[in-house]
Amino acid sequence: MEALSELVKKYALTTYSMKPNRLVIEIPRDRVKEVLKAIKEGCGDTGIYVSTIVGTDFPDKKQVRLDYYLVTHPDDNVYVLRTWLPREDPKVDSILDLFPGALSGECETYDLLGVVFEGNLFIRREFFVPTDVASKEVFPLRKDSGV
Amino acid sequence: MAVDKVIEIPVSLEVPIGPQHPALHEPVMLKVYAEGEEVVKVEVNTGYNHRGIEKLVEKNSFYRNIFIVSRVCGICNIVHSNAYVRAVEQVMGIEPPGRAKYLRVLAMELERIHSHMIINAIMAEVLGYDTLFMYIMRDREKVMKAKEILTGNRVLGDYLMVGGVRRDLSEVDRERIKDVLIKLEPEVRKYIRVFEEDETIGKRLRGVGVVKPKDVTLHGLVGPTARGSGVNIDARREGYDAYGEVPFNIIVRSDMDSWSRMMVRWHETIESINMCKYVLENLPSDGPAVPDETKLPRKFPVGEAFTRVEAPRGELTYYVMSDGRQNPWRVKIRTPSFNNIINSGFSYIGYTIADVPVILTSYDPCISCMERAIVTDLRRGEKKYVRFKDLNRGLK
Repeated sequence: MEALSELVKKYALTTYSMKPNRLVIEIPRDRVKEVLKAIKEGCGDTGIYVSTIVGTDFPDKKQVRLDYYLVTHPDDNVYVLRTWLPREDPKVDSILDLFPGALSGECETYDLLGVVFEGNLFIRREFFVPTDVASKEVFPLRKDSGV
Repeated sequence: MAVDKVIEIPVSLEVPIGPQHPALHEPVMLKVYAEGEEVVKVEVNTGYNHRGIEKLVEKNSFYRNIFIVSRVCGICNIVHSNAYVRAVEQVMGIEPPGRAKYLRVLAMELERIHSHMIINAIMAEVLGYDTLFMYIMRDREKVMKAKEILTGNRVLGDYLMVGGVRRDLSEVDRERIKDVLIKLEPEVRKYIRVFEEDETIGKRLRGVGVVKPKDVTLHGLVGPTARGSGVNIDARREGYDAYGEVPFNIIVRSDMDSWSRMMVRWHETIESINMCKYVLENLPSDGPAVPDETKLPRKFPVGEAFTRVEAPRGELTYYVMSDGRQNPWRVKIRTPSFNNIINSGFSYIGYTIADVPVILTSYDPCISCMERAIVTDLRRGEKKYVRFKDLNRGLK
């Protein structure tokens, strides 16, 4: 299996490491799906899985950061694909058709942070957030949500 | 008289399972659609017990959060605090002494033993073996006692702290825990024989809920669920804490069914008992396991860390980000059940309704069916679920 960092080399804006020994690869938001497709083709169906999707709000930067934590199998290396979305219009392509395992992460990130995964028909409010919060149309993990 | 309500008993029956049941680990609802007995579709509904812990930890200090994250899960509370504490240690650049790392492994492996025993007990109960449930729970209680000797509490240990653990282990207590483990092992081997040889258990579990290796990785399934399908995913391979020094085998089976997943858990229980014995016999004395709390840093550097821990149910991940203040900017918790339950709807299709609780239990929560009908209020355009026996009392 070709090393994942080699597979995404041409898409990477920048790379750095996160503790402990996680390689972070920043990619443009409009190429997220393209990059993950290349990774899947390179690693094979059983060579990688999407472990976690983490969204973080940065109101000062007016951006939302989206991290995909990928774990390669069987060598168990963790890679982080990181992209930045505008806070006012946080949209990104869904990777559900490539990795059905991203369902839980995408649904949660939409419900808690408001990131819209285009192409994911299952995202909805109240996936986790209780009705009283969802009905106020606020996303609790936004820093200015007041929750 | 105008018709304003329709009672719908669909040909394709919709059977809501959950969200409340005494045997249910996590309040989740499976909407099962069945044609006759055969399951044709499963939707997973969540949100019944969202406590907003990720938001809560953003509002509390790094040290306080150790106690908050321990309460994410009652059964595997030590792995939660371990993943969080290790992430904070990574951000702060603190390395605990070897003795503390060994004691952490001991606590986590004791937790794995009792967690695997409880889900196997629940599986026995789901299969109708209530006596077997009682026997396994009786022996599990011995492990809870060992955990109490180590941490001071049966369930919520609050055992970890940044830079070490909260209690050291005396020679006397070391022998007491060893004694518990020596007595436990033959009992576990007995249960393994029961699960291997009992005809009914075999009939209910073998060939039910088959998950192929390709589906494991595509759907992000982790832990014994993955290893029961021959996919060797185990976060302990990273060698965090003392896992790089304590010898252990990763149990992988290739049967891919519910039985395979339960047997992975049983054999991991034996493996964990051996690991605990190794830790007790080789506990290093390289430094104080309990750090001086007053000397812990009060200023936190800017940084981020992503830690993984192999919880009893599978890979548990924590992302912790510090912006230099007393409280973390972001803490993301991804529990193994988050993947294993929400993403596993595909694996019920083609099996019968009676298999659904078995398959679900093999993923390590538990659930049981309730009989209900769907009532559609035409005037309001609402649908609601009503139990069959409540239909007798009329519709309101």
